[in-house]
Amino acid sequence: MPDPLVYLQATGVAAIVSALIVLMVARQRLLVENHRWDAANCVALGLGLAVGGQLLAQRIAWPPASGLDRFLVIIIPALLGIEFIAAAQSIPARLTWILRLSLAAAVPRILLHDSVYLSGPTAWTIWHSLLILSLGSLLLASVWLLLVRLFERSADASIPLSLSVAILGAGLSVMMAGYIKGGATAFLLVSVLVATTFATRVTRNRQAPVILGIGVVSLFSVLFIGTFFGRLPLDRAFALGLAPLLCWATEWKRSSDRNGWFVGLIRLMLIAIPVIVVLILMKRDFDRNIAPLLGGVQINVSNLKIEKVTER
Amino acid sequence: MRRLVSAWVLPAVIGAIVCLSGQSGIAADDYDYDLVHSSVSFKARHLDISWIHGRFNDVAGKFSIDRENPAKSTFELTIKADSIDTANKARDEHLRQPDYFDTKQFPTITFKSTSTKPIDGGYEVTGNFTMHGTTKKVTLVLKGGKEHEFKGVKRVAFSTELPLKRSDFGFDKSAIGPIGDEALIFIDCEGMRK
Repeated sequence: MPDPLVYLQATGVAAIVSALIVLMVARQRLLVENHRWDAANCVALGLGLAVGGQLLAQRIAWPPASGLDRFLVIIIPALLGIEFIAAAQSIPARLTWILRLSLAAAVPRILLHDSVYLSGPTAWTIWHSLLILSLGSLLLASVWLLLVRLFERSADASIPLSLSVAILGAGLSVMMAGYIKGGATAFLLVSVLVATTFATRVTRNRQAPVILGIGVVSLFSVLFIGTFFGRLPLDRAFALGLAPLLCWATEWKRSSDRNGWFVGLIRLMLIAIPVIVVLILMKRDFDRNIAPLLGGVQINVSNLKIEKVTER
Repeated sequence: MRRLVSAWVLPAVIGAIVCLSGQSGIAADDYDYDLVHSSVSFKARHLDISWIHGRFNDVAGKFSIDRENPAKSTFELTIKADSIDTANKARDEHLRQPDYFDTKQFPTITFKSTSTKPIDGGYEVTGNFTMHGTTKKVTLVLKGGKEHEFKGVKRVAFSTELPLKRSDFGFDKSAIGPIGDEALIFIDCEGMRK
């Protein structure tokens, strides 16, 4: 089990680094054009993650061997690269979306690369693989498109914050399912996302596609890794992965005089419901399966059942 | 004279060549790993005060033993990491996850010999040991090698112990926790001649 204090320090420093970069750029008025704010957000998120990962002494194999390694060294840099080019070069929105959707199509394949699902004697058939990978890509692309569309309708910090709540729930769920390192990675992601969101909000900037992109892809990847490499149940992964779409509920009835804070609060409360339900279920399973391993004795001898939880 | 050569000498030479080549083929015996009478088990430190024991239930392998030229003997073992069994279902599930063996990514643990040297009472076998996606050169001291024929099948058996550090094989040091870094693998295998 990683030291919680080290995680707290790493996430704190990562958040500070991300926020400081956004605030410094704003203070220096380095960016005149609005769309270039996203380039600054890319740098803030990327540096925050890099510093946090360094403080955690995260051991990443090269070439990346596990799903988590591939997420951290292939998917995140690729996404930051796409968003940076899109922002800095101000390429047409259509081209940006082609790049984003191409990445969404590749993410499930990259995460499952060289695993038992795609290679070896027990690998899925070609049709089975195509079905699972296509469904994964479709889900990722749909959530991404819908959240960006919602952000375009009502640019609000509550959308990236809702994503952060879902990622936090996903991370805790993956940890409680027994994959501690995979789940703990979510803390770092949440810290830089929240810090960048608040810093962007403080600077009264509304550009946030990169924050949404990193949020959606991170949520999907943590759940995907947790399900296929860990033991996160598929139904709970679906619930957490689709939870951010509940933000759309506030668009049911639009009025011009609605309070932004109130809408944001409603969104956060809506998304908290499935997240809390999943966490309660995961905690129940954790107490039943994992907790006894961490410090308990369980003896079952026919009718005699002794359960004693002692200090590890 | 020419007729004598073609009638007797040539067949004799050819026969001798065939016999010699046949003998060299017989010198190396090929064996299959007998899962029923073999085991691959391990123990790892818990809290640095005790040992946790476990085994792998699904193992396959083959070895070829050349009594005349032991350096030509070869040994291969493939362990399915998913078959880990520590007599606790929940712990086994936990050990299969990416914090430990990551069996969906690294389904097998393998050993393949690269050189063999006869020693007193067995063989010293050097080879590539791959676990958790990392390959290291290790040397096993295989004790045994006694043959026994049972119900018409020739059998041979070896035993060895392999101490290793999990951190040497890509296991995350920060996730090592209460289960210690060091583990000891015990291999007791019986081979059945093909």
